[in-house]
Amino acid sequence: MSSHSSAVTPDIVRRIAALARLRVPDDELPVWTRQLDRIVSYIDQLREIPETGPAARDAAPATPLRPDLPRDGHGDRALAENAAECAHGFGVVPRVVGGGE
Amino acid sequence: MATADGVRSRQLSAEEVLGETLARVGALDGRVGAFLEVTPDLALEEARTVDARVAAGEDLPLAGVPMAIKDNMWVSGRQATCASRILRGFRPPADATAVSRLRSAGAVFVGRANMDEFAMGSSTENSSVQLTRNPHDLDRIPGGSSGGSAAAVAAGMVPGALGSDTGGSIRQPAACCGVVGFKPTYGRVSRYGLVAFASSLDQIGPLARSVADSARVYRVIAGPDPLDSTSSTEDPGDPESAVGKGTRGLTVGFLEEAQAEGLDAEVAGNVDEVRRAFASAGAQVKSVSVPRAPDAIAIYYVVASAEASSNLARYDSIRYGPRPPATDLASLYVESRTKGFGPEVKRRILLGTFALAAGYYEAYYGRAMRARAALSDDFERAFGEVDVIVCPSIPAPAFRIGEKTDDPLTMYLSDIFTVPASLAGLPAIAVPSGYSREGLPLGVQILGPRFGEENVFAAAGALERELALPDEMPRGVG
Repeated sequence: MSSHSSAVTPDIVRRIAALARLRVPDDELPVWTRQLDRIVSYIDQLREIPETGPAARDAAPATPLRPDLPRDGHGDRALAENAAECAHGFGVVPRVVGGGE
Repeated sequence: MATADGVRSRQLSAEEVLGETLARVGALDGRVGAFLEVTPDLALEEARTVDARVAAGEDLPLAGVPMAIKDNMWVSGRQATCASRILRGFRPPADATAVSRLRSAGAVFVGRANMDEFAMGSSTENSSVQLTRNPHDLDRIPGGSSGGSAAAVAAGMVPGALGSDTGGSIRQPAACCGVVGFKPTYGRVSRYGLVAFASSLDQIGPLARSVADSARVYRVIAGPDPLDSTSSTEDPGDPESAVGKGTRGLTVGFLEEAQAEGLDAEVAGNVDEVRRAFASAGAQVKSVSVPRAPDAIAIYYVVASAEASSNLARYDSIRYGPRPPATDLASLYVESRTKGFGPEVKRRILLGTFALAAGYYEAYYGRAMRARAALSDDFERAFGEVDVIVCPSIPAPAFRIGEKTDDPLTMYLSDIFTVPASLAGLPAIAVPSGYSREGLPLGVQILGPRFGEENVFAAAGALERELALPDEMPRGVG
């Protein structure tokens, strides 16, 4: 148990690490928990801001539109130059079904 | 830029300029570590192209100017790795828009500048490759995340560089290294080809040795781009002429919230000198309040981390980056990300995932977005009273390497003065304003309203002339 009412507990760190596809080894868990808790406690100063109200201003200009014309997105060349494994113009990945979670 | 003017008038060739640059980089960069990679062959080709274009009668605003490009921007033919293991070997398919505009203007790309991994940091200590040292004191950090760009300019290796600024990553290292760093209004410069960190904040801008040089590089890279839907169609105007305009008729506001307790005494004294300099330059000087500015770090670390956790979800070693052995897709994701990202990047991803997770979203992300809107409103009111706002760029001179690496929150607070302009999308320039007793650079920042670059450059140019700091080589590389 932490000495104060922590916003971030080891369980929460484990859960968000899984969501973020990161592995946090058990021996590093206390350090991650402590550091994140300290940052989140600092962020909690925002609790003085009301939880409801206008989310954002309407002042932002509308997104400009451009003509919907085909252009080279360089995707094929980028994939061919950078992917660890490629076949027939596609990236190759390990098996998707049957393992992991 | 003296280099460009020399090459334009054909008193110098771009090839000769490049030769001198490479010699200086070769002599100094072993000590400074500003460059992740120097690309002499590609640069030579580019310099020869510039010489041919000048000979053919083209007038190029950056003719033959050797530049360093932060490693999170695409430059054709070079890698772009964000100083991260997860992007090691990545070859971009094109130039970033800002880079292609520099190329059209005659710039020559010397190499890739070191940075904090994925631009997350304030000291460049988070690079997965190497440390960069402050040319004024090689035991100190150059600031970050554009630390390589700032150090390369400060050491006189290049006259200009591109950095990117999400919460201060151009301005804070510029201040630490005693050079000028400019973050344009959000939307002024296309983000196409800039590797995304926090898309509502990221902005490319120049680092250079003078306000006029920054204005020239900025003018070249600014303007609408169909490849970035957030790039603005507003006319960038004439920032170069604005530099010489002076401050007569300008009201310069000094940020009251920057006088808070705990401000370094030398920094406070320096701000007073700047206040006197503006008064003596003919500006009307007063104090101005942005009451929510002290909330900026808390807002920033929610918003930027949330966006980063989403943007960095794409790194899984499928389309780029080294692929670790894995038997199935789920474990490939976890292995590549766990091995590929360094601790600070993981910290921000975890923080952002937390802020966006069910049960926390409203309390953290929702509230931070409302606070961000309220901060922008504060600035809008303040700019009803003054034309530009001045505050320090950094709360204290550059700290020692290793001094803050164990304490992420204290490191985050290094950006207390730069983050507010990022959250509100405002233009802000960091200008050198003196030296500490230990001989380390001090700097102030000048902020303007959205798209108010011309007044920002006018004020910065006037301050630079009034202070008239000597343009000497830093003692670490002297």
